[in-house]
Parts: sequence; structure tokens; C-alpha cells
Amino acid sequence: MVECDFPECTTFGAVIRFGIELEKGTAAIYEELGNDPKLAKAQETFRMLGAAHKKRGTLLEDTRREKLNEMILEPIQEMRGEKYIIDTKVPPGMDLKAAAKFAAMAEESSSAFYLDASRVAKMLLAEAARIMERLGKENLSNKAKLEAL
Amino acid sequence: MALLTEVKKDWGTLKNYVNGEWIDSDSGKVIDIENPSTGATVGKVPMSTREETKAAIDAAHEAWWAWRETPPITRARLMFKLKELMEQHFENVARIMVQEQGKTIDEARGETRRTIENVEVAAGVPSLMMGYNLEDGAAQGIDEDAVISPLGVFAAICPFNFPAMIPYWFWPYAVASGNTYILKPSSQVPITQNYLTKLVDEAGFPPGVLNLVNGSHEVSDTLMEHPKVKGISFVGSTPVAKYIYKHSAENGKRVQAQGGAKNSLVVMPDAVLDRTVPNMLASYYGCAGQRCLAGSNLIAVGEIADPLLKRWVEASKKMKMGYGMDESVNMGPVISAKAKKKVLELIDSAEKEGAKIILDGRNAKVPGYESGHFIGPTVIDQVTPDMRVAKEEIFGPVVQYMRMNSMDEALDFIHSSPFGNAASIYTASGKSAREFRYRCQCGNIGINVGIVAAMAYFPFAGYKDSFFGDLHGQGQDAIKFFTDRKVVITRWF
Repeated sequence: MVECDFPECTTFGAVIRFGIELEKGTAAIYEELGNDPKLAKAQETFRMLGAAHKKRGTLLEDTRREKLNEMILEPIQEMRGEKYIIDTKVPPGMDLKAAAKFAAMAEESSSAFYLDASRVAKMLLAEAARIMERLGKENLSNKAKLEAL
Repeated sequence: MALLTEVKKDWGTLKNYVNGEWIDSDSGKVIDIENPSTGATVGKVPMSTREETKAAIDAAHEAWWAWRETPPITRARLMFKLKELMEQHFENVARIMVQEQGKTIDEARGETRRTIENVEVAAGVPSLMMGYNLEDGAAQGIDEDAVISPLGVFAAICPFNFPAMIPYWFWPYAVASGNTYILKPSSQVPITQNYLTKLVDEAGFPPGVLNLVNGSHEVSDTLMEHPKVKGISFVGSTPVAKYIYKHSAENGKRVQAQGGAKNSLVVMPDAVLDRTVPNMLASYYGCAGQRCLAGSNLIAVGEIADPLLKRWVEASKKMKMGYGMDESVNMGPVISAKAKKKVLELIDSAEKEGAKIILDGRNAKVPGYESGHFIGPTVIDQVTPDMRVAKEEIFGPVVQYMRMNSMDEALDFIHSSPFGNAASIYTASGKSAREFRYRCQCGNIGINVGIVAAMAYFPFAGYKDSFFGDLHGQGQDAIKFFTDRKVVITRWF
């Protein structure tokens, strides 16, 4: 299990950090599922999704580094991070259906986070809003893949 | 949530960088560098001597001709190398600023990005410093050219509020256009430039092209008086800017001296409050109000005054203070105990003159950071134009709330100030916005923007007592400041 350190979403940087923590947590879930011999049938899917989440983390780090500028450093007062926190403790002994459901919950929560963050970011920085909207939609697409397993 | 880690707890005693070497100062005088959030000493900065400064000027002068002969495209390539190194060290640079200046990590990352952008723009020097010519410009068969040439050694005397960015408003343009340079960082925040100069060294700039001398008045005076220095760039308070301008000019130098500010943000009755309030929060409280572009007076026009004030105070109360290494913090401390005392004294003066403190940050405490120089968001209502607090630069997270009847009245008040750095209007009316930008006599104008921070390819402007000189930092203005036009008339027999 990976420990995630979710910040309060009171600044633009903290919102991005929240996303980075989500990606770290989700990637770790997939890594654990991908290494479970009982879930070998979906191993490739889990590993592919894990790699995609790692890549998304890098995208968020780049966004924070390249897009933050002084004119958009407004405080954020309307996002409550608690509702998007994911459970990264993978229960032992899950069958494929239960494992897919567990991962799908993380995808759903992440999707809600990114789509809400996108609405907040739209007022600050359209480029970041587009990235978050894309990530949120990807989460939904990942969830659909998991449900098809 | 866990704090981000500091790059180093203790930076030891800093060195000067002269002629490509890191050398200790022999002055025997050092002062402590304080983390304004924790009160901890994070290093020591030497107070270099006149002789040490002269050695740096000599090194820059020696290096100049070979550097001037280096083709612009080669100089630009070194800028690209520096940019790459700065990208690699991006997070370290930001965290050092949080540690020594007290700003939040978001503010520090934003500043690091703007610092890099100046290197990126300066890398365009082959295009930026092209001259012009005219065939048969003097007479038939006689052509005339204007060639843009560098001048020699320049220097910058830098402030504490933007440890990375402000020196980069100047030196990349000077060096890219073929001059050599001496930086004197603020002795309150010297670590950032020390770190960045290591990257300059790693990028491979020839020895003597950029030099860094730590210190105080002795270094500044030497730079202003030395005949080999061609020009001085400065950012700081107005009294010092006036002195720098006068003293440097007396010694035959070009000067660009950015002074203080007293910026007003005007909210019209038709302003979109949902967007206006958060935007203004960043202006008044960002960098704890220690930006030369920070909002200071908040002028509410007409019937919007009461609803705006209610929302403003509610939103101000939610600002989270703390050590900027916590990513969720909105506002850090002011730079020093002395700065805090000055801000508190001005707040007290407002109270004595009859204004009402409706949100009082004077006794703000941040648990775990009792030695930090924190002042909470402060809102002073019923401020009138004659009060000290409405006129003097405060450089802290303090809002002077003023009520006026029209834009005319607001503009009259803005124009009564000796400062002319920045002003903003919040409105949904194109007509009001156009009128404001046309009439307002300030160098940086915001339309629904509270921090009018010019990008690297625009000049950082300023009028009246906010700027002494004619060519500003950044962009084409900077290239012009660091070069001259040489006219060549050519005839072949």
C-alpha cells in the first residue's frame, strides 16, 4: 500500500498536488493488482492502467511547473478535498470482479475530482482546466474498461 | 499534510562569484540570513568591501571585449543551456525562495517560471538587437546603417521581494546583448541568486561575464561611482531609488531605478463580484502584500461598497497563513521584524486618525511558527484620502477600504499620489474600462486584473515616483538600455 498525503485544496498548487497524490495512489493500486497471480487474466490491463496513471502524474508535475504564474494565484475556497480521497489499501484475496470494482471506485473518485477541479481552474487558467477535464474523462473511460472485465 | 523539504537547512557563509571563481570575502563582516517564517538562521552573507567590488568590476571589464566579440547566436546558446539547467533545478529554486523570503510555494514556483521566461526572451537576442539600414540613405551611392552595440559593464542592485526574478529583469538581456555584469542581491535574500549563479557557472558562461558580489551600501556605492560601470539597474523603495538615480547619473551612468508604489484597485458598481473578490485577494495578500504591484487602497464606487466589503471580509478571513512549504498555505509572513513593526505602526496610525479596523491581523499567530513575522489579513474601513495609511506605501497584507462616488473621484485620488506604479479597475463595462486605461496615469494598468505583472517580453513600467529613468526592465526596453545605436555612413570609391 502506498501512503498518499492529500493536501487541503486551498491553492492552485495544492489542487495539482492532490491530483499527483491521486495518480500515485491509483498507480500503486494497479501495480498491486497487476502482480497478483490470481488476477493474471487482467494483468495486462492493470499494468497498462498503472503505467498510464504514472504518466498522468508527470503531466500534472509539468503543468504545475510550466503553467503557474503570478496572475492566477488566487486562493481557492470552494473545493473540499475530503470527498475525493481514494482508498489505496487493496483488500487481500479479491477475485477479478471485486478487484475491478475496487479500482473502478478509485477511477470514479478521481474523475469527480478532476471534473470539479476543471470547473475551478477554468476561472484561473484555461490550459490547466483542459488538462483536468481530459484526465477526468480518461478516468471514466478507465472505469468502463474495468467494468467490462 | 507534510511540509515540503528544504533544499538545505543551513547554507553556511555565502561566497562571491568573481571572474568565474567562488571566493570568500575578507571583510570579516557577515549578517545572518533569517527564515522569516520560522525565525531560524539559514546562512550568513558577507558584507563585501569596496576593494572586493572593484575586483569584480575589473574582472567584468577584462571579460567584456572577448564577450562582445562572441557572436550573438553563441551567446544565445548559452542562454538556452542556462534555461535547461534552471528547468532541472526549478523546484529547488522555488523552495529556496520559500525558505529565505517567506513566500508560498505557489508564489515561488510562479516566480521561478517568470525568471526562466526572462532567459527565454533574452535568448532571442540575435533578433532583438538587429539594427537597421537604408541604401542611399545619406546620398546617392552613400548608405547609412544603425548598428546596435553593447556598452561594457553593467550592474544591478536588487530588492528582497523577488529574489530570483528581479535580477533576471536585467542581467540576461545585458549579457545576451554583449555586456558583462555584476549582481548585488539583497542581503536579506541572497541564497537564491547564489544558487542560480552556480547554474550560470555550470552553463559555461566565460569567467567575468557574470559576477556576484554580496553586501550592502559599500558595494552599491562602489558600483555607482566606478568609471568602468556604464549603467545601474535598481528596484526598491522610492527614497533609495531617487538616491541611486541621482548618484549614478552624477557619475555618468545610465540608470533605471524602480521605486515604491501605492496601488489602488477600483471596483465599479457593475463589477462581477464572484470573480473580482478572489482576484483581488491575490493582489492584496499575495506575497504578504510585499509586491510593488500589490493592491493597497481598495476603492469601492457607489452602491457596491457595502456588499463588496461584506464579501471581502468573509473571504479575507479564510486566507490560510503559515510556512509556505505547506502547499495549502495562502499567505506567508513579511520579511523581517523591522518590516512588521513598520506595517503595524501604519495600521495604528489609521486607527488614531479615525479609520475602523474591521479585520485585524496585528496579533495574528501561526501555531508552531511563533518566531515568524506574520501579520494576518487586515481590512481598514472608512479610510479617507488625507490619512497616512491612504498615502504611504505599506508593503504588508493590509487593505485600506475607501468609498467614492465616481470613477472621476477615484482617478483624482489616484493622481494625487506621488506614486504611479499600478492601478486596476474591476468592471463589466467596456466603456468604463477604456476610460480608465486611457486616463489613468500609472505605468501598469489592470482591467479586471489585480496584479499587472508584465510578461518578460513587455517592459515592467512605472510612472512618477515609482520609476526614475526612461527605459524599463525586461523585453525590448532592456535591450535598448544595455545597448547604444552606432551610425555608420559608407561610401566606396
